[in-house]
Amino acid sequence: MIIEYHRPKTIEEAVQLIGRNEPETVPMGGGTVLNALPEELGLNKEFAVVDLQDLGLDQIEAKGNQTVFGAAATLEALVRFDGTPEALVRAAKLEAAKNIRQAATVAGALIASDGRSPFTTVMLALDAELQILPGDEKIRLGDLLPLRWELLIGKLIKEISIPTNVKVAFEYVARSKADQPIVSAAVTRWNSGRTRIILGGFASQPILVLDGKDDLQFEEPVRMAFSDAGDQWASAEYRSEIAEVLVKRCMDQIGE
Amino acid sequence: MITKFNVNGKEHQVEVQAGETLLNVLRELGYFGVKHGCETGECGACAVLIDGKSINSCVYSALQADGKVIETIESVGEHPEQGWKKTEGLHSIQKAFVENGAIQCGYCTPAMVLAAKELIAENPDPNEDEVKEALSGVMCRCTGFIKPVKAVLQAAAEMRGDDYDEAKFSTAPKIVSVREETEYSSVGKNEIKVDAVKLVQGKPAFAADVDIRNMLVAKVLKSPHAHAIIKKIDASKARELEGVAAVLTYEDIPRVAYSTAGQSDPIPGPLDMFSLDYKVRHVGDRVAFVAAESAAIAKKALSLIDVEYEVLPSIIDYSDSLDNKTILHDEDDYVDFDASDASRNLAAHIHIDIGDLEAGFAEADRIFEHEYEVPKVQQAHIEPHVVVTYWDEDDRLVIRTSTQVPFHARRMIAPVLGLPIKRIRVVKPRIGGGFGGKQEVQIEDVAGHLTIATGRPVIYETTREEEFTSSRSRHPMKIKMKTGIKNDGTMTANAMYCLSDTGAYGCHALTVTGNTGHKSMALYVGEGKYREKPNIQFIADIVYSNQAPSGAFRGYGVPQGFWPVERQMERIANEMGFDPLEFRLKNALRPGELQPFSTAWSEGREPSPEIVETNALEECVVQGKEAIGWNEKFGNQDWKSDTDKPWLKKGIGVALAMQGTAIPYLDMGGASIKLNDDGSFNLLVGATDLGTGSDTVLGQMAAEVLGVPLEDVIVYSSDTDFTPFDKGAYASSTTYISGAAVEKAAQKVATQMARRAAMILNEEGAGPDVEAGEIHFEDRKAFALDGRFVTHAKIALHSLHHANQSQIMAVASHVSEKAPPPFAAQFAEVTVDTQTGMVIVDKLVMAVDSGVIVNPLTASGQVEGGMIQALGYALTEEMIYNEKGEVREKDLRDYHIFSSTEVPEMETIFVETFESSHPFGVKAVAEIPMDGVAPAVANAIKNACGADLGMIPATPERVWAAMKNKG
Repeated sequence: MIIEYHRPKTIEEAVQLIGRNEPETVPMGGGTVLNALPEELGLNKEFAVVDLQDLGLDQIEAKGNQTVFGAAATLEALVRFDGTPEALVRAAKLEAAKNIRQAATVAGALIASDGRSPFTTVMLALDAELQILPGDEKIRLGDLLPLRWELLIGKLIKEISIPTNVKVAFEYVARSKADQPIVSAAVTRWNSGRTRIILGGFASQPILVLDGKDDLQFEEPVRMAFSDAGDQWASAEYRSEIAEVLVKRCMDQIGE
Repeated sequence: MITKFNVNGKEHQVEVQAGETLLNVLRELGYFGVKHGCETGECGACAVLIDGKSINSCVYSALQADGKVIETIESVGEHPEQGWKKTEGLHSIQKAFVENGAIQCGYCTPAMVLAAKELIAENPDPNEDEVKEALSGVMCRCTGFIKPVKAVLQAAAEMRGDDYDEAKFSTAPKIVSVREETEYSSVGKNEIKVDAVKLVQGKPAFAADVDIRNMLVAKVLKSPHAHAIIKKIDASKARELEGVAAVLTYEDIPRVAYSTAGQSDPIPGPLDMFSLDYKVRHVGDRVAFVAAESAAIAKKALSLIDVEYEVLPSIIDYSDSLDNKTILHDEDDYVDFDASDASRNLAAHIHIDIGDLEAGFAEADRIFEHEYEVPKVQQAHIEPHVVVTYWDEDDRLVIRTSTQVPFHARRMIAPVLGLPIKRIRVVKPRIGGGFGGKQEVQIEDVAGHLTIATGRPVIYETTREEEFTSSRSRHPMKIKMKTGIKNDGTMTANAMYCLSDTGAYGCHALTVTGNTGHKSMALYVGEGKYREKPNIQFIADIVYSNQAPSGAFRGYGVPQGFWPVERQMERIANEMGFDPLEFRLKNALRPGELQPFSTAWSEGREPSPEIVETNALEECVVQGKEAIGWNEKFGNQDWKSDTDKPWLKKGIGVALAMQGTAIPYLDMGGASIKLNDDGSFNLLVGATDLGTGSDTVLGQMAAEVLGVPLEDVIVYSSDTDFTPFDKGAYASSTTYISGAAVEKAAQKVATQMARRAAMILNEEGAGPDVEAGEIHFEDRKAFALDGRFVTHAKIALHSLHHANQSQIMAVASHVSEKAPPPFAAQFAEVTVDTQTGMVIVDKLVMAVDSGVIVNPLTASGQVEGGMIQALGYALTEEMIYNEKGEVREKDLRDYHIFSSTEVPEMETIFVETFESSHPFGVKAVAEIPMDGVAPAVANAIKNACGADLGMIPATPERVWAAMKNKG
């Protein structure tokens, strides 16, 4: 239950508030999960929120070979930004309908996501990097997600960057076009030949299957990644087989 | 904390709690156009424009809104006529919504209008996809989105100053008449819904849209266990909490066995429910009621109630229920109905034999036996269940509730609350969708008990999660079919066994499952001698389980029946090499034939034989085939693979369907009509318009008889103190039953007006004397044969003020000895991803014989919305329980209903017959769209890729597995 609300005017003030031990204080992006389902963010007790809306963290910029999303940029702003890869646009649209996208933020969507999240699946494939305050620490999304509840205590995500000189593809299977994926795959190929394969649709976060170069033998690792991925939504057998199909399609799209 | 924002140009400064949602605060400020539909932002009914952007206020805190400019629907347009005050009238978007029939229940309409306003402000010339994307944040369970999309396109054109090109995007249904033409002035016209103008403005028309001084908020403590005895319950801490007005447990209120199924007396089912009980029978069952000064306090109080449970073994899979040693209803005060047997966990049993089944099978060349399964699904009306109760100044309990059955609610709730019926008044305002979910008297007792306990007004509004965990749903069923067929395609015998799960309570257990057989198994009788004497058997066991109860859901058991029947017909046609349509029509019921079940079963009451008079099924097939392009596509391999992705295959499928229209000899509707001073009329009906447009079509029928435009008929529904009895909105009965009552009342009023008109004309003496019988009504006038006339206003003034004064008014009621079935041919075109099993439905066509269509605009909206609901049944919707009895789906993210961006192309065709048992020839249209979509889609999937499904929804994995199984 939210017991305090703060809307600081400076990042320093925000960082100071978030650094408090009592009450537990967390950043609020759009609030679309925090206001509705705080327990999904591990918040089961009384807590305070720090609203980021006045901090200027809603900018999206192209910087060299990167696009940098301010932590408080909305998903809808990301969708509309010219430099956002088409696969990421599709994933963001699938992540949430327009009314939610207009409030939900890039950082908030990543932190609140689970394994079904199409947006996080593609951002992981892009090997998104987050800048964390205080300390200007940089961390890869893939390193953060498994430990997000511990690593982000007292911390604030400032921005998230993704590479632009890459090819990225996203494929999914769901009960209908706008439904959350049962299985999804995202593949990113760098000019260097580096290829990164992520599977989504299961568990608490999307899964990194491969991150390597040249002559990638992905079929077996992809099948194995979902070999135990059975739940009420789909069997492991189905997910394993379909993941391979979707990764192949992604590979075809990026010119494998 | 203080938050300041500007709403519709007005500055507000409000003290709020840190986590309080903007939705709550806006509604407390009186902006009732902002609706509550969920708590997690999926439904979008709560959307407002914040700094010009459409944002869901249920997941946005009031403090986040500090400094913002907020627009609610209250800032958009106004009624064009407000006496001497000139207004600019409705906004162009609102006008387009009204004119295009884009409003059904109207609960999501304000949010859609605001989303459209945002879109057009940014993009004055949007295309269809852009409109769908703009509306994607707002769920609509009624319309199917086609008409709202058209409304936005039309509004954008008007705002640009362009003419709208109907040819680009039209939603008008095709009407094919196979009846003798009758010229009507109001019936058959695309009249605007009588409630559209208020709904498009977001007026406070719904149950929760009231602000009563000292109103308490109710919450209900729910069981975490599927089956348990409450050994001890201690509410003392909760009662001591400041702001708590009452906590009620089973120890505090009378124990009265009742059923929540809103049906006529006597309830055709067991009485097995108690407001509060010492035993809980499903996760989400009631444990205690709390009333407090705020929702937050009430929730806190729930957490302070100590309950000690003795957990009992549970039955989650209903296949294990019958004769299980675990018994759900072992209470002594359980009241049996007919074949219910609580000791066997049997809520109802049905056994119907028509003809000689075994002889029929013996005469068959082939016997086909298959098993089928349909899931539990939720009505998911966007307005949750909501009720407000209070004592009026005469100490009568007023129940303002979102119900489909106000009169049943009053009758059924009276003994539960310990009040005589006469001390209860049930008011039904507008309803934000019901689909059968509000045929359940499910929440009225909660608020009623708490008002009795506290003496104060109480509001109880369920959360979206409670809609899944604690409300009713469609009965899941496991069905076995056995069919005998001759080599020439003649059906010789057909048998269905149905195991149906009523969940923890037996509400609608008998009648829903009875209709599974009564309609679907009646459609195919066989050819030749079998047509005269079909051989049909229907047996059903309706069992209890420790899942949330099943109940009424649009279609009322019939969609469950047509899934196996139409899959069975398809399998037979495929295996024996018959054309699927010729095979079906060869065996289908025809005009002039006996509805075979009519002599065997009638919802637990005495059956009576009924001949089907009108049945345009063959013409429906002809029309539907043409619209979907059947002849070009069916069996065309080139068409099936016409894509640049070889793994995608197209398919086409069909299903036929038949519903009912009301329950014969039982369903009764009443109407009263009163003439006003200006020649307008008050039409009071007990019928409940739950968004279907029934108020409008009833008004049209009255207007037709009385010779006035619809605008002169002021329709009001319903209030148990003021409107005549009506059994309520279910069984596709309102247009047929209540409509006939309206017509009768109007005829009585017309007779009185004719007498008065003749009197006036004869007093005037401008010609030969006129007999009342010569008078006819047209254009707000009563005409004599020689053309002399008296206006309705003059008749009114004369009768009320001038001479031999009397109030011209009449009351009438109607009950029918017939239940004429509507018929339909449902076509579907799909694309299947043969590698993953994912199915995209590209087009749905429904050709339906619903008799005369009183209002094509509203009727086609029913068909479109129904098809999309049914598409969810086909592809996405199901409720899955784990071994603890917890349901997987608790919100509208996991329970996926179709959004604006994914609805397929749809086409509606009305094949009009004239049903002579109704004065305007109508039959039902509301439920039949639910029946054929799932089997038509599955038949199309089979056509596309060979996947032969026995179970819905057709999830990707099920289709994938079925493709593998085909070998």
